[in-house]
Amino acid sequence: MDPRPEGALRGLRPQGSGPEREDDEADMTLQDLIMSLQKFWADRGCYLAQPYDVEVGAGTMTPDTFFRVLDKRPWRAAYVQPARRPADGRYGDNPHRVQKHHQYQVIIKPSPSDIQRMYLDSLAGLGIRLEDHDLRFDEDNWESPTIGAWGVGWQVMLDGLEISQFTYFQQAGGIDLVSVPAEITYGLERLEMFLEEKDDIYDLCWSADVSYRDLRHREEREFSAFNFEQAGVKGLQQQFGLFSREAARLIKRDLLLPAYDMCLKCSHVFNLLDARGAISVTERVKLISEIRALVIQVARKYVGRPDGDGEAALP
Amino acid sequence: MSDFLLEIMTEELPASHVRAGLEQLQTALASELQAAGLLPEGSVEVFGTCRRLVAKAAVAARQPDRVEKVIGPPRSAAFKADGTPTPAALGFTKSRGVDLSRLEIYETERGAYVGFAKTEEGRPASDILPDVLSRVISGLSFPKMMRWADNPCRFSRPVVNLLCLVDGRPVSFKACGLASSDFTWGHKIFFPERRIFPGSFEDYRDSLRAAAVVIEPGARRAMIEEGMRRLLEPLRSRVHPDAELLEKLVYDVEQPHVFLGFFDEEYLRLPLEILSTAMREGQRLFSVVKDGRQLARFIGVADIKQDGQGHVLRGNERVLKARLKDADFFWQADVKIPLQDRAEGLARVVFQEKLGSYADKALRLKKLVSYLCDKVEAGRIKKDAALAAELCKADLLTDMVREFSSLQGRMGGLLAREQGLSAEAARAIYEHYQPMSLEDASPSSPLGAVLSLADKLDSIAGVMGLGIQSTGSSDPFGLRRNAHGVCKVVLDRKWEISLERLVDKAVAGFGPKLARPAPEVKVSVLDFFRGRLRFIFEREGHGYDLINAALGAGIDNILFARRRLLALSELRSSTQFEPFILMAKRVNNILRGQPECRVNAGLMTDREEKELWSIYGLVKDNAASMCARGEFLQAQKMVFRLQPALNAFFDKVLVMAEEKKLRQNRLGMLQAVSRLLLQVADYSQVVVEGEKASK
Repeated sequence: MDPRPEGALRGLRPQGSGPEREDDEADMTLQDLIMSLQKFWADRGCYLAQPYDVEVGAGTMTPDTFFRVLDKRPWRAAYVQPARRPADGRYGDNPHRVQKHHQYQVIIKPSPSDIQRMYLDSLAGLGIRLEDHDLRFDEDNWESPTIGAWGVGWQVMLDGLEISQFTYFQQAGGIDLVSVPAEITYGLERLEMFLEEKDDIYDLCWSADVSYRDLRHREEREFSAFNFEQAGVKGLQQQFGLFSREAARLIKRDLLLPAYDMCLKCSHVFNLLDARGAISVTERVKLISEIRALVIQVARKYVGRPDGDGEAALP
Repeated sequence: MSDFLLEIMTEELPASHVRAGLEQLQTALASELQAAGLLPEGSVEVFGTCRRLVAKAAVAARQPDRVEKVIGPPRSAAFKADGTPTPAALGFTKSRGVDLSRLEIYETERGAYVGFAKTEEGRPASDILPDVLSRVISGLSFPKMMRWADNPCRFSRPVVNLLCLVDGRPVSFKACGLASSDFTWGHKIFFPERRIFPGSFEDYRDSLRAAAVVIEPGARRAMIEEGMRRLLEPLRSRVHPDAELLEKLVYDVEQPHVFLGFFDEEYLRLPLEILSTAMREGQRLFSVVKDGRQLARFIGVADIKQDGQGHVLRGNERVLKARLKDADFFWQADVKIPLQDRAEGLARVVFQEKLGSYADKALRLKKLVSYLCDKVEAGRIKKDAALAAELCKADLLTDMVREFSSLQGRMGGLLAREQGLSAEAARAIYEHYQPMSLEDASPSSPLGAVLSLADKLDSIAGVMGLGIQSTGSSDPFGLRRNAHGVCKVVLDRKWEISLERLVDKAVAGFGPKLARPAPEVKVSVLDFFRGRLRFIFEREGHGYDLINAALGAGIDNILFARRRLLALSELRSSTQFEPFILMAKRVNNILRGQPECRVNAGLMTDREEKELWSIYGLVKDNAASMCARGEFLQAQKMVFRLQPALNAFFDKVLVMAEEKKLRQNRLGMLQAVSRLLLQVADYSQVVVEGEKASK
């Protein structure tokens, strides 16, 4: 679903008055970008969550989104989430493809009527003069079969570059959501490449002194080798079995949050097996539906609980 | 007459939803307003952008008054002979609260009655409109709908503002959980804060123009086309025509701005298909061509007033550069891997969950194309056909198709050509997804057409074999598109092939994988094709009854079905047609419910029946061979020759004779005639003057 650091990018000066940048003070580093978004959404009532500590493919999959959208209670959260997509690794050789990138995830329920305006203001808050750019909301309906979720919305394009996904969640864990959340996912690396006018992700400045290359290049190289060549297929297959059996067992004991963690682990193991080219047709279908079935059980039980993390059983 | 304006403002609607929404708004509003007596001039105009659906009409300020007759007692009971009112008349007028002087005499079927005319005063439009608007707006439906916030309503995207003015005065109403307002907003980026309070439609349109919103799709289209001309004329070039993209862009923007960009000449080494796809997808850019050759330029359309600082242009150039770099990388990498090696990976790509992989599909296609090559006398290309079938899906595994899925097929064809495979096979792979719609061209080569047919029939048989059907607006796995493709290819190629046998082969290819028994699948596939042919023929403007008559004689040979129809259409206006149809129906009517009878020429007694039988013999031999050759115009004219003999037969011969043997013999003759006619067309389906239309 989410904007991946691919495709190319142009930046612009934060206070931009021309194509050439003159002063370095206005430069916004990746951590400045994160801080700006944190401040912006905290000011709008969001609780600032910390990144979740289990591997996920997208911010949507973390409990701060997945569980909290299921019930009717209002919820506002914003957080950075590293997203792992093993098959997207390129050994650090590709200027805009990586097996781990960072998303800034905003989830607000029920969706406020001025959510689109808020989003535009958040971009303006990064120093982007919107009237000098072409900002478009391009139809893109997001779907994640693994967690039984889908939504309706757009990819947001800035001068032809996809910088965010904007989604009105309709279903999660196979359950129709009664109170519909708005989900905004900023692709942080993409946005930063735009802001810094860089064509290579590794040239980005995480802070004034630390580059993206310093931080992440070795990680990309080594994890690409792991994802594509070294990850032990047999071990992964065993792990999948262990995690899925554990999930099923925990569901029976009503330990739904730990059970969901096991589902996330299954999903990541599946992605690794996929990157290793170790999944056949029938297996692919079987494994995905196996995870989905577990996630749906978790969700159903979660909303049906009488002692009420979910208020009442949903339809 | 009052000036009516409605604006439904939303978050960004997909272009196709704007069009669907406007069409429905126009029809629904017109019919509701007409029903309420508020639309004397009959029409509603619509306008729209990605953020608003707009309707305009001239409505009556109030409904017309309605006059109703209130009937009282019979005249005889109401008035005495001298004209004085009776207590019955007095009671009636009193109870209705009208003066005696208003009584009138009404002649009814039951005699003369007294009564009076009561005028139901029409209500003002402002009373009626709130209900009408709520109903119309909540009745709009879109290909995919959503909910937002805690609102139970469903729409294409969230509705953000509602405005309805009648003569400049706001009408208050509610729809989609929202109360109407008396204002609207301009462009979301350029005029985010300014509320516009329009006084009339013209004022609304002009104020929005000033606020960077052009509400008329036609005007936006003209602006885009004019912008392209202005930029490209000096280069003596033009955009590569792409009506679909242009249409999308017309609805995607409120304020079109056209710009011309450049990319590095080195990328011109990429095949044109790849270049233009990289431009079109994601960024929605047009390629620019001069004398049929691609230039290193592109045309884009932005939703801005002007690009004073060139940010939009440079941004798009930069994004495109990265895309082309990727595409170039993919192309160089993909070319190095022989398609045959790629094809081995197809075992890992799912075609359909229960139907297995694309490797399985390739095996089935190989058998189907071999069968088809024999049938269409393309035996000499059988070797190429097998190769094309084996490799046609291999490009699904290329990085290029993963990135740009619309290149599937074409990418395989380009690679096959680049890797020096047979030109015939390469072309077939390239065009085997064609035609993508009834407007799209069929494959240009016979082998491409064979592969296209095989691929589509295989998908239809497999998917329907699992019990999956297309219903209403949903068309799972492109069933309809595939069936249309099959019909179009057969008709364009003028191939005389048996659809039934082809379906048999396709169904058999799946072996035990299908959820339903093969004969059942075959019946539903053929029914499905009958429906699609009806759709195609109706779209061509043929009458439904002639279509039924043509299809009623069988759809095994699609080409013949069309020829039957064309013959019927041509003959419909001839003087012989109607009497012949009536005669054919008479034959059918008399045979209804009769058991099958045999004919014994020795039992014929009357001259007219002997005459009919001998003419029948002649006509039958001729017509049958004409039908077999697909010459349906001649065949129909031939069976027309039965008319005089049939006329005489019905005039002079008693079919339902007392004597059983005679009767059965005569019925048997008519049954033979009827069977012959049915080879030509199912005439009982034709509707002619003088009988009620029955579908």
